[in-house]
Amino acid sequence: MTLLALALPLLGAALAWFLPGRLAVAGALVSGIATFVMAVFLPNMGSVSLAWLPALGAEFAFDPSGVRSVLVIAAALTMVPTLIAASRLGADRRNTFLALLLLMQTTLNGLFLSTDLIVTYVFWEATLIPSLFLLGLFGGEHRRGAVTKYLVYAITGSFLMLASILALRPLSGAASYAFVDLLPATRELDVVVQTWLFAGFAAAFAVKLPLFPLHSWLIDFHRQNHPSGVADVGGTLYKVGGFGFFAWAIPLLPDGAAAFQPLLLTLAAVTALWGGLAATQQKDFKSMLAYMSLSHMGVVGVGVFSMTTFGLTGAMFLLAAQMISTGGLFLASGMLHDRAGTFDFDAFGGLAKSAPALAALFLFTLFAAIGVPGLSNFPGEFLSLLGAFEATPWLGVVAALGSVVAAGVYGVNTYQRLFLGPAGERRSDVAGLDVLILAPIVAGILWLGLAPAPQVDRIEATASVAVVTQVEAPIPPSLALGGER
Amino acid sequence: MIVAPDNIGLTAIAPAFALLIAASVGLIVSTVTRDARNGGALAFLGLLAAGVLGVMNLLAARSEPFTAFGLQWSVDAASAGMVLAVLVGAFLAILTGWDAVQRTGMDRPEYYPLILLATMGAVVMLHAGDFVVLLLGLEILSLSVYALSAWRTGEHGSEEAGMKYFLLGAFASAILVYGMALTYGASGSFTFAEIGTLLADGSGGVLALLGGALVLVGLAFKVSFAPFHQWAPDVYTGAPTPVTAFMSVVVKVAAFGALMRVASEAWPAARPTMDTMLAVLIALTLVIGNLGALLQSGAKRMLAYSAVAHAGYLGLAVLAVGQGMATPTVVVWYLLAYTLMNGGAFAVLSEVMGNDPHGDHIESWEGLGRKRPGLAIAMSLFLFSLAGFPPLAGFFGKALAVQAAFEAGWSELAVLALLAAVVAVVYYTRFIWAIWFARGGKGEPQRSAPASWAIALAAAGTVAMGLFPDLWFGLVDGARMAIMAGM
Repeated sequence: MTLLALALPLLGAALAWFLPGRLAVAGALVSGIATFVMAVFLPNMGSVSLAWLPALGAEFAFDPSGVRSVLVIAAALTMVPTLIAASRLGADRRNTFLALLLLMQTTLNGLFLSTDLIVTYVFWEATLIPSLFLLGLFGGEHRRGAVTKYLVYAITGSFLMLASILALRPLSGAASYAFVDLLPATRELDVVVQTWLFAGFAAAFAVKLPLFPLHSWLIDFHRQNHPSGVADVGGTLYKVGGFGFFAWAIPLLPDGAAAFQPLLLTLAAVTALWGGLAATQQKDFKSMLAYMSLSHMGVVGVGVFSMTTFGLTGAMFLLAAQMISTGGLFLASGMLHDRAGTFDFDAFGGLAKSAPALAALFLFTLFAAIGVPGLSNFPGEFLSLLGAFEATPWLGVVAALGSVVAAGVYGVNTYQRLFLGPAGERRSDVAGLDVLILAPIVAGILWLGLAPAPQVDRIEATASVAVVTQVEAPIPPSLALGGER
Repeated sequence: MIVAPDNIGLTAIAPAFALLIAASVGLIVSTVTRDARNGGALAFLGLLAAGVLGVMNLLAARSEPFTAFGLQWSVDAASAGMVLAVLVGAFLAILTGWDAVQRTGMDRPEYYPLILLATMGAVVMLHAGDFVVLLLGLEILSLSVYALSAWRTGEHGSEEAGMKYFLLGAFASAILVYGMALTYGASGSFTFAEIGTLLADGSGGVLALLGGALVLVGLAFKVSFAPFHQWAPDVYTGAPTPVTAFMSVVVKVAAFGALMRVASEAWPAARPTMDTMLAVLIALTLVIGNLGALLQSGAKRMLAYSAVAHAGYLGLAVLAVGQGMATPTVVVWYLLAYTLMNGGAFAVLSEVMGNDPHGDHIESWEGLGRKRPGLAIAMSLFLFSLAGFPPLAGFFGKALAVQAAFEAGWSELAVLALLAAVVAVVYYTRFIWAIWFARGGKGEPQRSAPASWAIALAAAGTVAMGLFPDLWFGLVDGARMAIMAGM
């Protein structure tokens, strides 16, 4: 049943590609909704394991427990409005767009659910292809530079990680690349070896997270992506970096992680601050959102690298919440672009007077994103920073400055532009499909914001948390990510 | 150990024999009827027969390897598997050229028989159990391919390619023969297994080392290890594209098969030194192949350098196999994957180039995604696979080879291989960009049904090997069968 999380979006991608005209849209939407419904039941499904290439140690293994299904649910929830937004594009290239989005979801779900490191790498690398095509086919005028930069950053990181992965089994003598087989073996590796191997993983994950100073691809990527914002939601991969550290690199190589902890924690705090400060200086929505995402990823980083229960749990919660809230913001910015043909702040002065609902929804989502209590990002951000304070207090202050104080500045700035400025041109308000697009986002924000406990508990029960925070204690087999094997 | 020399194994040589018969009959028939395609039809028959006999050999050798004619002809699961890869490569190349050869007036009666003879030479090389048979196969293969490289008469580039390949190839053969002679002088035997046993105590001294080094250089030329790769870009570019398709896969498989056997059976005496020499060649190949490909704006030359780069990855696996740290199946797996993705890429190239020997420039690829989406998707699959993107065949080839290198303790080489692969992604994706995202574009690709079949087959194989990698691995891996039988 767990494999449905891969099969449904893949089927949808095939339908969107092969069916003609509106039928393709219907196929894509049905599969998107079906994936979401399935995802809701995912936590109760069992794990799967099929032989794949024993000679390499690869097993086609998936497990929906813990944080894994939370991330799949958040991705599926965001994908439904994204598909609806994509269906409004011109008919000539719409179906390709839909197919690529669903392909993206397939590969992301595979990445979140797989419990075999080789399979994880396969999906990790496979995610690149749809995101490259989304940017290459639908991006702006300077997309070539953005694609090249993104590709070089991403590939350099992932091939270094591949080197670590392929060395991991021969060096540790583990029976296979399944998490449960690797875990006892790789933790015994010598500290120097662990440090080198961890460096390989960190290269890939830090690029995708992204950590300062490896973040510059992210800004170009968002600026050049299609103005509808659809590709920004579906095609951006920074959600996978933090997850990679959390699920693989840190638990498998605790000594390597310990060696890198001070550096990574500092870089993450700087990322949070840098992103937040830069966001206050932007003149258009999309750049502001790009830097805002960067700042959030810095907070995810400090949470993960704090290696405390609070920090790890909060970071993963923030990843899920951020997918929904930032996704909503990119989609809403697409609506703004629809109305004005630009992302420039100045074009939207006094928007609230002509389009009050749109302005309000935009602001609501932005507030959720910057961590207003009661909305989706708050629990994650709070726990992540708490973890950071526990690990290195002054870095917690730096990260908090970026994510909370700077967020206040750009949040209020945006509020002033949209609500207080003199009424500019008249813009039409939300109507029709806009409602359908934003409703799931609002629902998701409230769901995670008002009742965070079940998801927090789920994430906390993930094996990684226990493994990382009790480094000295032996790992009970029942906690292993793979579940019963 | 010593087997009686009268164990005449007709089934063991049957695949090579089937190819020889088809070539001979095909030559007569197409000369008499003045229609090269009659020879071509017989070539398909010959390949089919050889394929069936080859599968029988594989199934027999998988449970237990066997020899024929003393130790001169050796059949194990790896060599039988590589024979199948060679046959697939030849099949793809013939389909690719079916219309192209006629279109460009190259359909002289000897074309298809020569392809079959070259294929037969490759089969002989793969099953060779001693140096004499190895040389025999190498020369049958090489002489046919020299002639085929110059097949487009009147075309300056093609004639130059044939001449260059012949001169340098003859030079390499001479070095190989010299190495064989020195090895014989040191050990008193031509047979790989005997050389390995006789010299295991290190009695060969400098003579054995020198012989081994010269053999390595001779074979390095054929597998296009840097710095012995210089012929490859020129010959690949000058030769007619269907011939390049053939050469890039069949010659490579045969040469790697021979190298792997020599490295694992005949080298035990000179082990550490030979391994270091091989490792240096591999490192050079990885760097020069990938950087060379980066500088090319023509697809044919880019693929030529990419073939050099892939020799580096294959070399990693051969290095580990020679040391007994990896199963030969890793090399066999990679070689079939390489045959499919590279053969497919050349088939698309042949269609895009049409009749223009210089039509492989990156500009010819622009707009292919709009003009011929099927062709464009297939080419993207081949390029992504060559670049090592999962879940395509090329990824597992690279992963198995690099893991084998780690297993054998060549960590630095393994990391170098993956860093070089970053460069590879850049030059392959330049063509992906042209195919899908660049505006403009000139020229109309050919539409040849047989070539389309070759492309579809290669694409399906590239995807299937990526999704179900264990099918081919399990089929070839004799060791695992033995384990399972013992359980």
